[in-house]
Amino acid sequence: MAKLNVEVVTPERRLVQAQADEVIVPGADGLFGVRPGHTAFLSLLQAGQLTVKTGTKDEQYFVAGGFVEAGPQVVRVLADAAEAVSGIDVAATKKRIGELEEKLKAFEPADSRGDELRGRLAVERKRLEVAGKK
Amino acid sequence: MASLRDIRKRIKSVKNTRQITKAMKMVSAAKLRKAQDAVIAARPYAQTLDAVMAQLMAGQDGEPSLPLLSRRDVKKVELVVITSDRGLAGGFNSNVTRKALRFLTDAKQPVEITTIGRKGNEFLRGRGYTIRKDYPGVLAKVTYERAREIAQELSNRFLAGEVDAVHVLNNEFVSAVAQVPVLAQLLPFEAKAAVQKAASQVDFLYEPSGEAVLQKLVPQAIAVKIYRSMLESVAAEHAARMTAMENATKNAGEMISTLTLFYNRSRQALITKELMEIVSGAEALKG
Repeated sequence: MAKLNVEVVTPERRLVQAQADEVIVPGADGLFGVRPGHTAFLSLLQAGQLTVKTGTKDEQYFVAGGFVEAGPQVVRVLADAAEAVSGIDVAATKKRIGELEEKLKAFEPADSRGDELRGRLAVERKRLEVAGKK
Repeated sequence: MASLRDIRKRIKSVKNTRQITKAMKMVSAAKLRKAQDAVIAARPYAQTLDAVMAQLMAGQDGEPSLPLLSRRDVKKVELVVITSDRGLAGGFNSNVTRKALRFLTDAKQPVEITTIGRKGNEFLRGRGYTIRKDYPGVLAKVTYERAREIAQELSNRFLAGEVDAVHVLNNEFVSAVAQVPVLAQLLPFEAKAAVQKAASQVDFLYEPSGEAVLQKLVPQAIAVKIYRSMLESVAAEHAARMTAMENATKNAGEMISTLTLFYNRSRQALITKELMEIVSGAEALKG
């Protein structure tokens, strides 16, 4: 059976380059799966879990947002940040959440200046959630 | 004439200097390798981003009306100067600062200055320029996260109309012996440059929409550009320092051999003189 060439790259490094049967991606409008022969498709990512399936083996990654480009033979994930779920540092993530919550206290919930912080907080919470699931 | 002891002291001090420059060279070589790895690691992302961007732009009719791409009358310019935090890197910093000075004197519009790297900041302040913003300590460890913050701040200024163009000046790593200062326009973002490389024309389905994707993609591309400029600069810095220190080590070696030769000659002359004195003294006694 045809395989997909899967690439997960972040600005700092290439995390994954592999052949897989199916990839499940957290798209902007929800999770979607890509199998060989998929139509050309470009989607934004939201923070969440990315699954790369090869045979019976699943590999889980956390992506913090970015883009995904899917085609009949390739899936290219351009993540702002990404890491293997098993490599998530739960303590460090919790610490970052605490810091962000602390900083956010300076802004009213309706204050748009806090939006960036709120966005980062949502990503960190998602990271924790993904780490806790496995 | 310098006494033998003075020369000996001098030789010792030059030897010490040589030790130091040699050590610095080796440290730079190690750091250069790391910096080069970082540059290479950043490549796949940038290339893919370019490709995606090219696809997107090719699918659009004409120039898309994204604020970050739109050019307008330039009344105020922002110049981002990337240098190093430390000196002793040959012409590395002066190449950039010289170019920055030329930019500042030639500019027809008022220029605001942002600096990354201590050397450029000090130099320009010393010349009486006001630095609008300095990002200290970014270069010790270049991360994408920081690059994105810087890109965001610059973009916000551009969007708010505080500046009408942003240029970045940094050293580009060409090879271990060649670094070139490069001045490039960051904003308004030149998305068309990437388009020329558009290889295949595929009709993509976009989610949520092409417009939305492009809107996320452009800031990303800007951050990547800053990130790469910083990585290039760091790699170039270590390369420049390595070369400078290698030359210094070589020069110190030459100086040591010259001094040693001079020292031996002086010593020999002294011995000969003393011998002659003894011999002539003995002759005189014989009478």
